[in-house]
Amino acid sequence: MVDSKQQWKAWLYLAPAIVLLLIFTVWPIINTVVLAFTEKYSTLANTGGTSFRIGFGNFTDVVGYSGFLDALKITMILCVATVPISTILALLIAVALNAIKPLRKALQTIFFLPYVTNSIAIGMVFNAMFNMIGKIGIRRPKIQSFGIINDIIRFFGGTEINWINTGSDEWANILVLIIYIVWNALPFKILVLLGGLQSINKQYYDAAKVDAAPRWKVLTRITVPLLSPMIAYVVITGFIGGFKEYTSIVGIFGETMGPPHDAGRLNTIVGMIYDSLENNLVGRASAAALILFGIILIVTLINLQVSKKRVHY
Amino acid sequence: MKKLVSLLLVLAMLLSFSAVAVAEEAPVYDGSEVTITFYNTMGTNLTPVLDTYIAEFNVLYPNIHVEYTSVGGYDDVRDQISKEIPEGIQPNIAYCYPDHVALYNLAKAVQPLDAYIDNTAVITRADGTTEVFGLTDEQKADFIEGYYNEGKQFGDGLMYTLPMSKSTEVLYYNKTFFDANGLTPPATWEELEELCLKILDIDPMSVPLGYDSESNWFITMCEQYGIPYTSATAPHFLFDNAEAKAFVKMFRDWYQEGYLTTQTLYGAYTSGLFVSTDEIKSYMSIGSSAGATHQRPAKNADGSYPFEVGIATIPQVNAENKKVISQGPSLCIFKKANAQEVAASWLFVKFLTTNVNFQAEFSMASGYVPVIKSVANNEVYAEFLANADGGDYIAALSAKVCLEQQDAYYTSPAFNGSSTARSQVGPLMTKCFAIPDGSDVDAQIDAAFADAIAECKYSIGE
Amino acid sequence: MSRSAYDTIRDSMDKKEQNKQKFSAGYRAAHFFGQAGIYLFLIVMALIVLFPFYWMIISSLKSLPEYKETIPTFWPRQIIWQNYANAFTTANLGVLFKNTLIVGVVSTLLSVFITIITAFAFARLEFKGKETLFAALLATMMIPGELFTITNYSTVISFGWLNTYTVLIVPFLVSVFYIYLLRQNFLQIPNELYLAAKVDGTSDWKYLWKVMVPLALPTLISITILKMMGAWNSYIWPRLVANKEEYQLITNGLRNAFKEAGTGDVDYPLQMAAVTLVSIPLFLVFVFLRKYIMAGVSRSGIKG
Repeated sequence: MVDSKQQWKAWLYLAPAIVLLLIFTVWPIINTVVLAFTEKYSTLANTGGTSFRIGFGNFTDVVGYSGFLDALKITMILCVATVPISTILALLIAVALNAIKPLRKALQTIFFLPYVTNSIAIGMVFNAMFNMIGKIGIRRPKIQSFGIINDIIRFFGGTEINWINTGSDEWANILVLIIYIVWNALPFKILVLLGGLQSINKQYYDAAKVDAAPRWKVLTRITVPLLSPMIAYVVITGFIGGFKEYTSIVGIFGETMGPPHDAGRLNTIVGMIYDSLENNLVGRASAAALILFGIILIVTLINLQVSKKRVHY
Repeated sequence: MKKLVSLLLVLAMLLSFSAVAVAEEAPVYDGSEVTITFYNTMGTNLTPVLDTYIAEFNVLYPNIHVEYTSVGGYDDVRDQISKEIPEGIQPNIAYCYPDHVALYNLAKAVQPLDAYIDNTAVITRADGTTEVFGLTDEQKADFIEGYYNEGKQFGDGLMYTLPMSKSTEVLYYNKTFFDANGLTPPATWEELEELCLKILDIDPMSVPLGYDSESNWFITMCEQYGIPYTSATAPHFLFDNAEAKAFVKMFRDWYQEGYLTTQTLYGAYTSGLFVSTDEIKSYMSIGSSAGATHQRPAKNADGSYPFEVGIATIPQVNAENKKVISQGPSLCIFKKANAQEVAASWLFVKFLTTNVNFQAEFSMASGYVPVIKSVANNEVYAEFLANADGGDYIAALSAKVCLEQQDAYYTSPAFNGSSTARSQVGPLMTKCFAIPDGSDVDAQIDAAFADAIAECKYSIGE
Repeated sequence: MSRSAYDTIRDSMDKKEQNKQKFSAGYRAAHFFGQAGIYLFLIVMALIVLFPFYWMIISSLKSLPEYKETIPTFWPRQIIWQNYANAFTTANLGVLFKNTLIVGVVSTLLSVFITIITAFAFARLEFKGKETLFAALLATMMIPGELFTITNYSTVISFGWLNTYTVLIVPFLVSVFYIYLLRQNFLQIPNELYLAAKVDGTSDWKYLWKVMVPLALPTLISITILKMMGAWNSYIWPRLVANKEEYQLITNGLRNAFKEAGTGDVDYPLQMAAVTLVSIPLFLVFVFLRKYIMAGVSRSGIKG
C-alpha cells in the first residue's frame, strides 16, 4: 500500500519535467530517427512536393563521405586530450582557491569573469595570439607579425611555430584547439568543483591538519574521493561537450574548418551536421546526429561504469 | 428561383474568374488593407532611410502596412526563411542572394515576377496620381542590365528577383606611390605581372597586390576567360577543366614569387596591408567597392592622409571585354494564399527598386551603388559623385568607378548548390597556391580540383 | 547569525594549529612556500583567464580603424568613450534589458524549481524504473541541440507561441545537466537524516525544502548562475522564435544593431562596448551571490 502511494507521489514530483521532456526532447528525438531513415529528406523539398524513399541512404552517405574518418579522428583527439587536462587544472585551481584566505574573493571573481566575457571576444583573442601574419610566398617569405605566442617563444630563443596559418602542421592546429577548449571549459568546471568543495565537511581537513598530512596526500586521499561525484560530472559532461566541438574550430579557423592550405582538415562530426543543414539536407544531418549519439552513448556508458567503481558517495 | 440561379451563376463565374486570375495573371492591388513583412540585414544606420521611404510609400498606398525585421547577416536571413517556409510563415519580401532563391525554390516558394512585370493595368494611388502596375519600358531600361538579369539566371527563364543595391570588386591603388614612380594601374593581368615586378624592384619588402576574396577571384577569372564554372542545369559543377587549372597554376607561381597574397593566406585583412605604414605593405588591393573607407589610410595628426587612394577596374583578360562580379542583395517575393499581399509586396519592391530618391539616399548611406541609371541625374547624388576623391570622399570615388563600368557586370548561374561551389573554389585556390615548390604541382592541383568537385556533389546530395 | 558555530570551531582549531606550528619550523617553512606556490599558480592562471576580458574592454574603447589594424594594439592609442554612449543609443537597450530580465528571472525560477523536485524524486523516492528513466534522461544530453531545434520549431508554431515570452521560457526549462548535478548533491546527504525525518513524521515535501534544499544551496546557486547565464547568452533559439523587436533578447539585439555603413560588417568596437555594458549586471549578480555561497557553506558545515 505504502509502496504504491510512494510510486504515485514520485511520479507527481516528476510530472512537470516529464511532460516538458516528452514535448521538447523525446518527440524531437523520435522525429530525428524518422528523418534519418528518410533518404535525402529536405524540409524545403518536402514542402515543394518531392517524395522520399525510406532506407539507410543517409547513413551510407555520412559514413561513405571522404572526410568522415578524419572527422571522427579529430573529434576523438579533442575529447581525449582536453577532458583530463581541463579537469585536473580546474581541480587544482578550485582546491587552491579553497586553501587561501587573502585575495580569495578577488580571485574567485576573476575566475568567474570568463562567464561574462562574450564569446566573440574570446575568438578574437585567440586569433590575435596565434596568428602569424604575412609569410607571403616561399621564394621570398615575408612575415609581418609572428603573434604574441611566437613573440614569447622567440624571446626565449626558440624558433617561431606556424600555429594556424598557411602551411601549418596538423599537430600545431590541434594543439591550439586544445588550449582554446581547455581555456573555455575551465570556468564552468571550477565553479562546479568549488561548489562541491565548499559543501565538504571541513572537519575532514581539520583532522588532516592535526595529523600534519602533506598537501598532496590531503588532495588525493580526502579531497578527490569526497569530490568524486562532481569530478565524475565534469568528466562526463566534458566528454559529451568534446564530442560536440564545433564553435571553437570555427572561431579560430573560420567556416573552412582548417588552415588555408587544407580546408576541412579539422572538421568534426558536428561540423558535418551543420554542413548538411546548410543545404537543408535534414535527413542526412539527422543520420549524422544519430551516429554521433551512438558514439557518445558508448563512451558515456564506459564513463559511468568507471565512475561506479571509483565514485565515492 | 430564376433569380437565385442566375445569382449563383454569376457567383460561380466570378469565382472561376478569380481562380484563373490567381493562377495565371498577377492580380492587381485593389486598395485592400494588408500587412506585408520584409526581412533584411539593415543596421541602424540604414533603417532610418527605409523608414522615411515607407512613410512616402504610405502616402501613395495608405492601406499597405510594411513591417520589417533586421534578421542579422545574409546567411541568417537564409537560415531563418528556410525554417519558416515549411511552416508557411515566411515573410512577404526578403533580401536575397541568388543561391538563397534556388534553395527556397526547392519548396517552390518564391513568386515568379514575370506576370507582375508585364502587367499593364493602371492603378490609382491615394494621392490621386496613377501608375502602371507592372514595369514600364522606361523603368525596365533604367535598370543596369547586368543587375537586372541576375533575376533570371535560375535555368527556367523566369524572373524571380529585382536588384536592391549592389557592389562589385574594384582595384584600389596607392596613387601617391604610383604617380611618384610613373606607374599606371594595370588594365590586364599581363600588365599586372609586369607592374608587380617593377614594384618589387622599387620596394623589395612590399607585397604588390592583396586580393580580398579568393572565391570571387576564381569565379571572375572563369568569366573573363570564358571557361565553364557552373551550370543552372545538371551537371552543375564544371570548373574542373584544364583552363581553370592553368590560371590557378599561374597565380600560384605569382604567389610563390611574392607578387600577391589573399586574405586567408595573409592571415589578416588585405585592406590592412594596403593602408599599412609598416615596412611590409601592398600598393594595390582588390576588394569590395562597398568597403572603400577601409582602403583609406588613417589620417595623420595634421588631418592629411599619408597617401592618396586611386580606384580602377580590376585587371582583365581582355581589356575590351571587361568582366566584374556583381554582388549585393536583391529582393524576392514569396508566394502567399492572399493574392493581395503578393500584389502589395510587388508594389513595395517596385517602389524601392525604381524610386530614384530612395536609391540615391540608400546608396549614399550604405556604400553600395544604385541599381538604376537615372540616379546619376539625381541632384544630391550627382553632387556626391562630383566630390569624389581619394581621401575624404573615397566612397563617392568607388561609386563613380562602379557606375562607369556598368556594362561589365556578370552574374553566375544560381541553383541549389551554387553557394557550395562558391565556398569550395576559394579554399581550392589557397590550397593550390600553398603547394610547395619541388613537389608534383600538377598532380596536386589535379587532386585539389577533384576533391572540390566531390565536395560540391556531396553537399547537394548527389 | 553572521558568525556561525562552525567558524568558532574553526578558529579554535586554528589556534591549536598555531600552537603546534611553533614547535615545527620546518613545517612552517614548507607551509609558507606551499602557500606562496599556491598564490603564484592562482595568479598566473588568473592572468590567463583575464586576458579575453581585458581584450573585450580594450576593444570596446578602440576606434574602428585601430581595431582593424593588422597588428593589434594592446592599449587603445585614443580611448573612445563615445563608443559606450553610441552603443547605448544604437541598440534599443532598454527594451532588450527588460525582455532579457523577464525571461532570465522567470525561466531561472521555474527551472530551479523543476530541477529541485525532479532531482529529489531521483535521489530519495522509490519508484519502478527509476534507474532506467535516469539513464534515459542522461542519454538525451548527448544529442546535438541543432536537431531539437528543427522539430521544436514546428511544435511551438503549432502551439501558436511565436513572438511570446512563453516560447523563450518554456522549451528549455528542464535541464538534464542540472538535474544530474543536484541529484548527485542530494545523494551525498546522509540517508540517516531522511530516515530520522520519516520517524518524526516530516513529510517528504517539508523535508525537501527544510533540509535538503538548504544543504544543497551552493549547488543550487551554481545552477542559478549557470541558468541565468544561459538565458543571458542564448542566441540561436530566440533569434528563430522571437524576431519581433518587442520580444528580442539582448544577444539578438546586439548582433543586429552594430553594422558598418559600408560593408554591413559588424562594428566590433561598438559591439564590444555594448557587450561590456550588458556584462555588468551579471558581474554584479555574481559579486552579490558569492557572499551567499559563503553563507550557504557555513550553514552546511554545521548540519553536515
